[in-house]
Amino acid sequence: MVNGGIGWVVAVNLIIWTGLFLYLLRLGKRLRSLEREP
Amino acid sequence: MKNLLAWLLWLWMSAVIVAAFLWAPLAKGFIGQSSRILFFHVPMAWVSFVGFIAAAVWSARYLFGGRDPRHDRAAAVAIELGLLFGVLATITGALWARIMWGAYWNWDPRQTSILISLLFYGAYLALRSGIDDQDTRGRLSAAYALLGMAVTPFLFWIVPRITYSLHPDPVVNTQGKVNMESRMQIVLYASVAGFTALFFWIHNLQCRLQAHSERKSAPLE
Repeated sequence: MVNGGIGWVVAVNLIIWTGLFLYLLRLGKRLRSLEREP
Repeated sequence: MKNLLAWLLWLWMSAVIVAAFLWAPLAKGFIGQSSRILFFHVPMAWVSFVGFIAAAVWSARYLFGGRDPRHDRAAAVAIELGLLFGVLATITGALWARIMWGAYWNWDPRQTSILISLLFYGAYLALRSGIDDQDTRGRLSAAYALLGMAVTPFLFWIVPRITYSLHPDPVVNTQGKVNMESRMQIVLYASVAGFTALFFWIHNLQCRLQAHSERKSAPLE
C-alpha cells in the first residue's frame, strides 16, 4: 500500500487526466486538418 | 512545437497529481486525506476567475476595438469554461464540506458567492441565446461581461474576506501572509499554473471549433 492506500486514487487521476489529454490532442489534430480544407 | 508544449503540460500535470497525493504533506486540523483536495479545488476556482476576467478583457476589445466577432466568440468561450471550472470547484468544495462540516451545502459566504457568480454568468449564456442578431448579441453580451469585471473580483476576493466564514483561510490570508507548508505551496502553485495552461489550451480549441462550425453553416456566396 502506497501512502496509506491512496495509490489507486493517483492511478485513477492519472488515467482520467491522460484520457482528457489524448482527447484534446486528437481534437487539435482534427481541427488542423479541417482548417486546411478549402 | 505545439505538440511538444502539450506533452510538457501532460508531464507537468501528471507530476502535480503524483506530488499532490504522494509528496505533499497533509494539512493540520483536517480529517483524513481531505486536505489534498486543495490542490485541485483552488486551481479550479482560480481558473474560473481567470475565465471571467479574460471574458471581460475580450469583451472590451470587442466593444472598443472594431467589433471583431473573434473577440466576441473568445469572450463567450471564456465564460463557458469559467462556468465549467466554477461548477467543478463548487462540487469539489461541497465534497470537502461534507467531510469537514458534515453537510455538502452550508451557505458559507464562499459557497454563496461562487453560487451567485455561477448564476450571474449563467444569465450571460441565457442572454446570448435569446438574441438572434449577431451584432446586437455581441454588444449586449460584451456590456454584460464588462459589468462582470466589477462583480467577479468582489465575489471572489472581497466577500469571503469581510464576512465570518467556516472556510479555511485563503491561500494569501487577510494579513497578506501564506500560512502553508512549503511543499504544499509548491504543489499548489504548480497546479494553478497547469490548470491555467489547460484553460487556455481548451479555450483555443473551442474557439477554433466554433469558428469552423460557423464557417460551415454560413450561407454560400
